[in-house]
Amino acid sequence: MTPAALSVSGLTKRYGDRTVVDRLDIDLPSGVVAGFVGPNGAGKTTTMAMLLGLVRPTAGSGSVLGVSMDDPGSYLPRVGALIESPAFYPSLSGAENLRVFATVGRHDVERIPLLLDVVGLGERGDDRYRSYSLGMKQRLGIAAALLGDPELLILDEPANGLDPQGVREMRELISSLASTGRTVLVSSHDLSELEQVCDWLILIDTGRSLYQGPTRELLDGVVSELVVAAEPDDGDRLHDVLARSGHRVVARDDRVVIDVDGADVTELAAAVNRAAFDAGIVLVELSPQRITLEDRYLTMVGSTGGSRTGGDQ
Amino acid sequence: MNRVIRAELLRLLRRRTAYIAVAAAALFAVIASLAVFSSARSSGVASRRGGTTIAALSGTGGGTEAFATGASFTGFLVFVTFIALIASEFSGGTFRSLVMREPSRLKVIVGKLAGILLVVGGVVALAEACTFVMSLVLAPTKDVPTADWWSFASLGQGVRDYVTVMGGVTGWAVFGTTLAVIFRSAPVALGVGFAWAGPFENIVVDSWRTGYRVFPGQVLASLIQGGTAELGIGRAVLTATVYAAVAAVVTLLLVSRRDVTS
Repeated sequence: MTPAALSVSGLTKRYGDRTVVDRLDIDLPSGVVAGFVGPNGAGKTTTMAMLLGLVRPTAGSGSVLGVSMDDPGSYLPRVGALIESPAFYPSLSGAENLRVFATVGRHDVERIPLLLDVVGLGERGDDRYRSYSLGMKQRLGIAAALLGDPELLILDEPANGLDPQGVREMRELISSLASTGRTVLVSSHDLSELEQVCDWLILIDTGRSLYQGPTRELLDGVVSELVVAAEPDDGDRLHDVLARSGHRVVARDDRVVIDVDGADVTELAAAVNRAAFDAGIVLVELSPQRITLEDRYLTMVGSTGGSRTGGDQ
Repeated sequence: MNRVIRAELLRLLRRRTAYIAVAAAALFAVIASLAVFSSARSSGVASRRGGTTIAALSGTGGGTEAFATGASFTGFLVFVTFIALIASEFSGGTFRSLVMREPSRLKVIVGKLAGILLVVGGVVALAEACTFVMSLVLAPTKDVPTADWWSFASLGQGVRDYVTVMGGVTGWAVFGTTLAVIFRSAPVALGVGFAWAGPFENIVVDSWRTGYRVFPGQVLASLIQGGTAELGIGRAVLTATVYAAVAAVVTLLLVSRRDVTS
């Protein structure tokens, strides 16, 4: 069994009457890229802040890299983090900022040029931070998180504010970081990106855990749609036949898409086939579509009522 | 804590900062020296609040008299500087970035205070040296003999003036840091600091003379001036030390116990 990179039990944070994180249990194996998913206000940032010793838990206990959370000073040198938004000195250059933080963290300043190259800022490292675009600031934040060559990376919305190209580059960067064997915990609202890069998922809502485990276990075998196609001339007729049969159908391109809605996919496919056959329609496609993380997530959050309360806490 | 101090020096000791420091020290020297020498009276009793005399300028402490007199205005500047620098660490999120690398928050805040104070100490020393040079230039215009300025006693007086000013500056630095930590926002902390140390204290002491011995700003002003008629240097040092200790305890408690949320 892989040792846990982090393990928390009953982690709770209350601000007055408001419970932001509610008896959260997390066990994250080492070496995985874990997506930390939840709506705004679900408690993701607060949880990460507690793991980093920035916020004191109201209750609960845990360990990070095998060291008790009560002693963040012992494990923080092995953890790199970008939490909330990148925070640097605007009047210093990117490289100077890294030097300042490397000095405080007793990190090797010789690695700074390499890290700037890794995050694609090699040519802009001597420019002032205030002249950076949002994407460059995020990248510098990642470089700062990597200063100590950490075993565990905690990244809070690293793709926040990036353009599609930047999002792709961030995904590739996270994948490359993960390939070096370190554990990465990354929160994001871009679920399609998380789905591509994460092999482990932690879903929370209103401060409570909804799911944690391998991504494939959450998504594999769960079918959200049945895509049906007939000969081109029979497309409209197929749609009508299936709609009359009581299925929730929508036309998409030349196909008819049926919402599985929790039904048994095999039985549903048989029923669709039978209805088409009875109407004299020959099907040319009948394929189940695997659920996306976004659909699965919305289904799970929807079932708990969700917690879209504005900014994350 | 040494790492935080080194990082702070790395951040502050840059070419641009050096230019600003030299310019500020030179400007201070020119203004302070001109003000002191132009207002020097040929007779009477010298005091740093009421103006100096030619005789006082001719003595062993004459070379740094302009520095000691002018320095009474620097306390507020230091106060504002510390509020701005420390509060922006909280509002800008860099304090969070620092404590993720140095988990001892006390070391971070004390290290930052010490680092900035080291730089301020350098600027104050430079200002004293510049003021001495400027005083040498202005001395002939008032027929002030400067022979005594080169004695060991004069050097000792210069050191005492420096230590006194730095004592007051440190007090202002601690108060500025406390306000910055309490409010964690430069505009709010500056507003409160301005209102308290500016209008409030000065208006109240006009009608309540005891305020000179009680209000932190007045106590520190007396300390930097080497004591005043209202508050002697010994009492000023004692009161300022007690105030600074209370402020330091409040600061350290807040820093160590509060969540770092920005």
